[in-house]
Amino acid sequence: MNSTGNSDLVRRIEELSGQRLQDCYQCGCCSAGCPIGEMMEPPPSKGVRLLQLGLAEELLASDGIWLCASCLICGTRCPRNVDYARIAEACRAIVLRTKKSQVDPDKVSESDLQDVPQQAFIASFRKFSV
Amino acid sequence: MKYPYYPGCTLYSKAKNLDRCARKAAALLDVELEELPSWNCCGAIYNTNIDDLAAQVGPVRNLAKASQLGEKLVTLCAACYNVLKRAGGHLNATGFEEERKRILEFVDERYERDVRVMHYLEVLKEVGFEKIKQRVKKPLNGLKVASYYGCLMTRPKEVLQFDDPENPIMMDDLMATLGAEPVRFDFKAECCGGYLVVNRRDVAQACSMRIIENAKTWGAEAVVTTCPLCQYNLESAQSAKLPADKRMAILYFTQVLGLALGLGEDELGFEDNKLDPKPFLKEKGLL
Repeated sequence: MNSTGNSDLVRRIEELSGQRLQDCYQCGCCSAGCPIGEMMEPPPSKGVRLLQLGLAEELLASDGIWLCASCLICGTRCPRNVDYARIAEACRAIVLRTKKSQVDPDKVSESDLQDVPQQAFIASFRKFSV
Repeated sequence: MKYPYYPGCTLYSKAKNLDRCARKAAALLDVELEELPSWNCCGAIYNTNIDDLAAQVGPVRNLAKASQLGEKLVTLCAACYNVLKRAGGHLNATGFEEERKRILEFVDERYERDVRVMHYLEVLKEVGFEKIKQRVKKPLNGLKVASYYGCLMTRPKEVLQFDDPENPIMMDDLMATLGAEPVRFDFKAECCGGYLVVNRRDVAQACSMRIIENAKTWGAEAVVTTCPLCQYNLESAQSAKLPADKRMAILYFTQVLGLALGLGEDELGFEDNKLDPKPFLKEKGLL
């Protein structure tokens, strides 16, 4: 671990997600399989690497943790049984619990309300808002 | 055969066609779906943080209601299937005993037994594809379909145990049973972008278009879905990105089942599909 990093935050992320970060050996299967990997910064394997280096704040401030659709391809393909979807969710929770929503239910447009299936709103608000 | 049935919120609003075809097709196969009394929303997505017990209460309440009726609960929406089955599995996780007690104390319903959450496709499997084949009135000959399961039907594999998490075949087998031709399809369990459509429609569209392009590459003429959100994303991405004559029909698997079992055009709910599949089905001689 990098001595300048925030190990308390890293431990909190491990605890919330139930994942062992040191198990990841950076093979990159998760990032390769992620349907959003090309758009996600950092992609899953890099997100784990940041935490291994103690750079939790960098991951928490990233756009990447808000681009996960929880499809679980990353964890399914991981040869080391690390589930990045759960890690990203733990990171989001730490941000959301400071009352910083990523999606504001009051700002959904009327046309989307008429058009998009309910399950999308419920899921989005659950994952991205407080 | 009689099963308690959980429709979920979206099947009561934007995906009535998925639900209605399922109920009518079930009746034609001597399956009675009895709607779970006073069900509530499952939560639409499974939350994974270990201290997030509140998110478990909704799905577990439904399981408790179902446990008073029997040992099984049938779902149809892929999201409901995923959430209810994971919530049920988590209740029995090792090391979760204290949390289980707290959740069950919070749920105001008797929890009488563990309930097996099933997907409608698994009910069809119990009915038997051979029997279904005998009931087909209109074989879907010449219809090339890509069976799209999405992410929610198969993962996490340890809990859902539905089918192969990367290459499921149950719906492909059903399509073949109905006389259609299931094509090879690399992205059958890829994610459509899901709920990202709410705030990152660009991302959801990119995911959905990859799926459409791959289905086309393998010669599919239509994609068959199990999830209202997959259905929406695959339809709306095409509306945004492709000219009208290049868009592929996206059908709920229950619509395809109903069509083959002889349900009338007025019973199949095609008017609620965002991309009207009727001209295509007429062209194929199926309507």
